[in-house]
Amino acid sequence: MSLKTLLKSGFTLEIYFYKNNRATFLAMFLWPYLMLALILGMGYLFGSPSAFRQNVRMDVDPVVYYVASTLIAMSALSVMWGVGGSILWYKWSGTLPYMLLSPNRMSTTLVFSFIPRYMLGVLIQLAEFAPLIMLIEGVSNGLVKIGILALAATVGMIPLLGFSALFASFLITIEEETNVLSWLNPLILLFSGAFYPAYLLPYWARLISQILPTTYTVELARLAAIVGAPPLAPITFLIGILLGIALIYNSLAYLLVGYGEKKAMKKGAI
Amino acid sequence: MSLNQKNLTLTQEKMSLGEDEVKETIIVKDLVKNYTTYLRKGLFKREKKVVHALKGISFDVKKGEVFGLLGPNGAGKTTTVKILSTLLLPDGGEARVLGYDVVKEAAEVRKVIGVSLSVEKGFFWKLTGRENLTYFGMLYGLNGEYLKNRVEKLLELVGLKQLEVTDKLYEEYSLGMKARLSLARALLIDPQVVILDEPTLGLDPPSARMLREMLVKIAHEDGKTVLVTTHNMFEAEMVCDRVAIINEGEIIALDTVERLKQRVADSVSLEIFTFLPAGIPQETLVLKLREATGYPSTIFAENGGYRVKVVVPPGDAGEATSKALRVLHEHKCSVRRVEIKEPTLEDVFIKLTGKTGF
Repeated sequence: MSLKTLLKSGFTLEIYFYKNNRATFLAMFLWPYLMLALILGMGYLFGSPSAFRQNVRMDVDPVVYYVASTLIAMSALSVMWGVGGSILWYKWSGTLPYMLLSPNRMSTTLVFSFIPRYMLGVLIQLAEFAPLIMLIEGVSNGLVKIGILALAATVGMIPLLGFSALFASFLITIEEETNVLSWLNPLILLFSGAFYPAYLLPYWARLISQILPTTYTVELARLAAIVGAPPLAPITFLIGILLGIALIYNSLAYLLVGYGEKKAMKKGAI
Repeated sequence: MSLNQKNLTLTQEKMSLGEDEVKETIIVKDLVKNYTTYLRKGLFKREKKVVHALKGISFDVKKGEVFGLLGPNGAGKTTTVKILSTLLLPDGGEARVLGYDVVKEAAEVRKVIGVSLSVEKGFFWKLTGRENLTYFGMLYGLNGEYLKNRVEKLLELVGLKQLEVTDKLYEEYSLGMKARLSLARALLIDPQVVILDEPTLGLDPPSARMLREMLVKIAHEDGKTVLVTTHNMFEAEMVCDRVAIINEGEIIALDTVERLKQRVADSVSLEIFTFLPAGIPQETLVLKLREATGYPSTIFAENGGYRVKVVVPPGDAGEATSKALRVLHEHKCSVRRVEIKEPTLEDVFIKLTGKTGF
């Protein structure tokens, strides 16, 4: 069965879900602005845009910077959370066995059914912030930056897919059905420089940050937030790094995921 | 070529391999499954325990028949169903569906089976019945007009269209409606083999009857092979062409319902409907009845009271009745009705296992 079929069915599921949950759909548009207002409000209360620029060592607009890093951080998290966490949700709702009855490998079904949700989520988030970015940066620069963010969110997702599938099979195999990602994700964000610039972290933490794909997606977000035309050369370089990491990580995960699937099916975890 | 046509071609190719595979749609040979569980002993200690769910069961299911796996909770029915559905790996033995090995050719097996594992869950609560079916249809490779027509046809077949609930959210469905939708999903890809785990569990009598009639129809009229698990003896008698009685991971009998009943043809079933006073354990009463009558006895909770059952040879019915009534009288049980009946599948199970466990 083609991967297109899985993507199409996943897309249909999301559309049905949004159609029947209009309040959720509206809330998705509102809450990022509330979060942004809270963070910026605190920033302006205790600091200033110039102090902010000094700290991040770039000529960035605080609003665009927070929009970009929020979008990238949330996207990176939702890959791990989406594939890994949704398997528990599917299991609790009893839909998991029926999804796995599709004639594909377990991890293939889970990953490719998830991608439409992720892409729709990114699109919605971009649509949320597009007016704000264009208001600050102007229409033409704003559109380029939105494009870069969309690219960063898409390319940044790829290295995490294999490992999120591995997490998914691990999560249903362990006896404690808790989402270990809930404590792993903040660590990933911390090491990626989403909370503090990575150069402020201790040496050992910086080593970890270098092997995390999210570090490069956060960096992409920072570059997208630079005032004026975005620097295309470093952006292309970062995308190249992300694709390289994707190849290594997904090859490694592919070798391990078969074992994880077999263990889950042997244990009767589905 | 639609998925459905592809399945048919694949099945025909497989079937052309030999006469045996035409007759036997499902073949299970020496199937073994053990589960390892851990019992908590304090905060950090735990004790390993191995549960032998299947102890080398073997059976086959023929094309176009309704085959019942009958047994109490924990007998191994669901484990068997999950292995045949490719959702669980066995520890030993072999199982084939339309010639495909459920372990080595799992993807091929999934293309020819329709499965229902539970009537009360397994759908997206915030989607309507029609949307749920459409989504799963797409996931299983159906699309376009064929999918649309298939969904409509199935909604009509299971009676959801007539109930005008196809566009209601699944969370608003009654258990009967959920069961109907579950059967519709099992039939989505027009499978050759339909595997249903306790399809009428918890249903009201009209819904259960409708589902039973449908099972017989899809097997006898549409030529599909139906494997159904149940712990309901009445249901097994009503719908199954053949029944395998499974207990503690072993098949203890396998035959047609009529032939199984012949095993107790030399017996009658003495049934006493009674109320038990508080404080009398059922186990004690069963033991006393067995001692007094000399035959295995069982007690079922039923309609707010209890049904005491003793399977006896016809010549001993009178004496066994008076002995059983004496025991009940001694334990201050008020007797409402006494009946002597022809043997049923339930009696076969009692005779084979010496217990009900249902």
